[in-house]
Amino acid sequence: MARLQLKNVNKRWGSFVGVDNFDLDIADQEFLVLLGPSGCGKSTTMRMIAGLEDVTDGEIWLGDRVVNNLEPKDRDISMVFQSYGLYPNLSVYENIRFPLRVRKVPKEQHHEMVMKAIDMVELNDFMDRRPAELSGGQRQRVALGRAIVRKPTVFLMDEPLSNLDAKLRVSTRAQIKNLQSKLKTTTVYVTHDQIEAMTLADRVVVMNKGKIQQVGTPTDIYDNPANTFVASFIGSPAMNLVEGRLENGVFQGDGIRVEGLPAGSSGNVTLGFRAEDAEIVDGAGEISAPMYSIELLGEASMITWRLGGSLVSIKTNKEYRAEIGDTVNARIPAGICHLFDTASGERIAQ
Amino acid sequence: MSNLANKKPPSLVALSTVFVLFWLVVAAFPFLWTMWGSFKVEGDFFSRADWMNAITGPVTERQHGGPFTLDGYRGAWIEQEFWRAVLNTGIVVFFTVVISLTLGTLGGYALARSGFKYTFWLLMAALVFRAMPHVTLVSGYLLPFFQMNIWGYLPTTIIVLVAINQPFTLWMLHSFFLSIPKDLDEAAMVDGCTRFQAFRLAIIPVMWPGVVTTGLFSFLLAYNDFTVTSMLLTQENATMIPKINSFLGSTQEEGKVMYAVAAVVSAIVPLFVLILFFQRQIVSGLTAGAVKG
Ligand SMILES: Nc1ncnc2c1ncn2[C@@H]1O[C@H](COP(=O)(O)OP(=O)(O)O)[C@@H](O)[C@H]1O
Ligand SMILES: [Mg+2]
Repeated sequence: MARLQLKNVNKRWGSFVGVDNFDLDIADQEFLVLLGPSGCGKSTTMRMIAGLEDVTDGEIWLGDRVVNNLEPKDRDISMVFQSYGLYPNLSVYENIRFPLRVRKVPKEQHHEMVMKAIDMVELNDFMDRRPAELSGGQRQRVALGRAIVRKPTVFLMDEPLSNLDAKLRVSTRAQIKNLQSKLKTTTVYVTHDQIEAMTLADRVVVMNKGKIQQVGTPTDIYDNPANTFVASFIGSPAMNLVEGRLENGVFQGDGIRVEGLPAGSSGNVTLGFRAEDAEIVDGAGEISAPMYSIELLGEASMITWRLGGSLVSIKTNKEYRAEIGDTVNARIPAGICHLFDTASGERIAQ
Repeated sequence: MSNLANKKPPSLVALSTVFVLFWLVVAAFPFLWTMWGSFKVEGDFFSRADWMNAITGPVTERQHGGPFTLDGYRGAWIEQEFWRAVLNTGIVVFFTVVISLTLGTLGGYALARSGFKYTFWLLMAALVFRAMPHVTLVSGYLLPFFQMNIWGYLPTTIIVLVAINQPFTLWMLHSFFLSIPKDLDEAAMVDGCTRFQAFRLAIIPVMWPGVVTTGLFSFLLAYNDFTVTSMLLTQENATMIPKINSFLGSTQEEGKVMYAVAAVVSAIVPLFVLILFFQRQIVSGLTAGAVKG
């Protein structure tokens, strides 16, 4: 159990910046998710915490000591790798026992500890098999079992679900959440899947190009994205973003005009709103433009316009019918709108 | 699988069976012939009158009162002290294999994991030296060895054989290590291993078939070598192959050729034992996929 702090951590390879000034304080027992597109530096950050990658600049604190110069084995963490990293020549039982063996845990305790971990990840029927004789989901659970068999101060998980099929991913996700709440171990979890992040995290760190974009609870980053990157990355579908001009509290874009916005600022702005917050109307609306497409989603239909350069979508009931090219109107109350500075992408305070 | 095989036309099955049998006979015949002949006298095995004599052995019958004789073996092993050559070969082979595998696994692992840019060129250069005819290297060694007064000794030969063999060992083990995902080392290190423990406890067990296969190649190089051993060793330190050659070089003396034949058969037997013993590892080492988890 420990608090984990990253103080202005940087990773550079030559002139290439992998992680840029990463500064974060992770509380004891917290479930923290690093979320971002592929190549944004999530794994690098995690590997620096694990000690598998040197820190170019900055400090990593684990509990009350700086661990920058400690070997991975001395950091007392455990890690689940994307490709699991199981020992192919050892049985499931021996795979899970491996950390106890190399860490010189007294032999008499091994069996009990291993069996407890095996129970937790429900692998009792597969104890004697080799990894090659297991399905992807079972291998994944062996990796989890190996991580929890001793009580580490921090769990690190690097996209542990990305090699599983969609259905298994949902059930394993629930299992991980459950395990973490039982074990109460500080956890850093890396993913590029925003749904995983939203469902698992106490707090989410959204990263892009090596930089932290926003830190907050899932609700926080969903309701108040700090910039257009976060807005377009979180939510499914992602937030609609339209460029235009703001003048005296009136936003004017191509085919869209919203009144009653805060009058404080003016200039080129990007207006954002979520598909599920707006509604299609018959009379006049903030959007009035020819429809670009209509898609049936099952429980709802999705109407899309092309406004300026961007596609804007709104959900409506599944009975709604219109032809492509018809003018369709929608109501966008000022209250659901987010404003971002077009040049910097940053949120404009409201 | 067997279903599929059953569906093949009988003519094809017959043809391939015949072919395999034919191949087996062709491959095994020289060895069987030599082994059979090693229990005869020179007059039979190298008979000018009738080649069938090598099988029936009338001269052997006349000289020893039976169709088989151990004369060749007795002469080679006792009179000519072939056991000394066997011992020398054992020493040379053992140390060559152990040293090149030790250097090869450590070096191959380091190269595979370092990500050093010039690794490829380093290995390429190594391979070029391996490709040179051994005799070009050895003739260069002769003079300095004489001057340093280290010519003729087993350790000198071992060092030369290791040097000649090392590039290949390094190259082969390097590619085996590359086929093992880096995650395995890293998982082991997070689990509590030092870098070296990760190598020993996590990587080597998986690498075992690769080590055995590479070791076999080193073994064969040292075991079968003629160029290096014949030029670098004194008469009493000679290994098996040069020793057999020296038997063959003295055809004037009746019977000595049979020492060579008996010695050849003695030299082949360990190879069979070896292959039988390590058969499984060699097969999985040669089909490198087995290394992957
Ligand atoms: N050893 C390395 N040398 C140079 N660049 C690297 C190295 N490892 C990773 N990178 C680069 O750093 C960036 C971040 O990588 P990574 O942390 O693996 O991203 P992800 O968020 O997908 O896990 C990528 O652009 C990657 O190409
Ligand atoms: Mg990654």
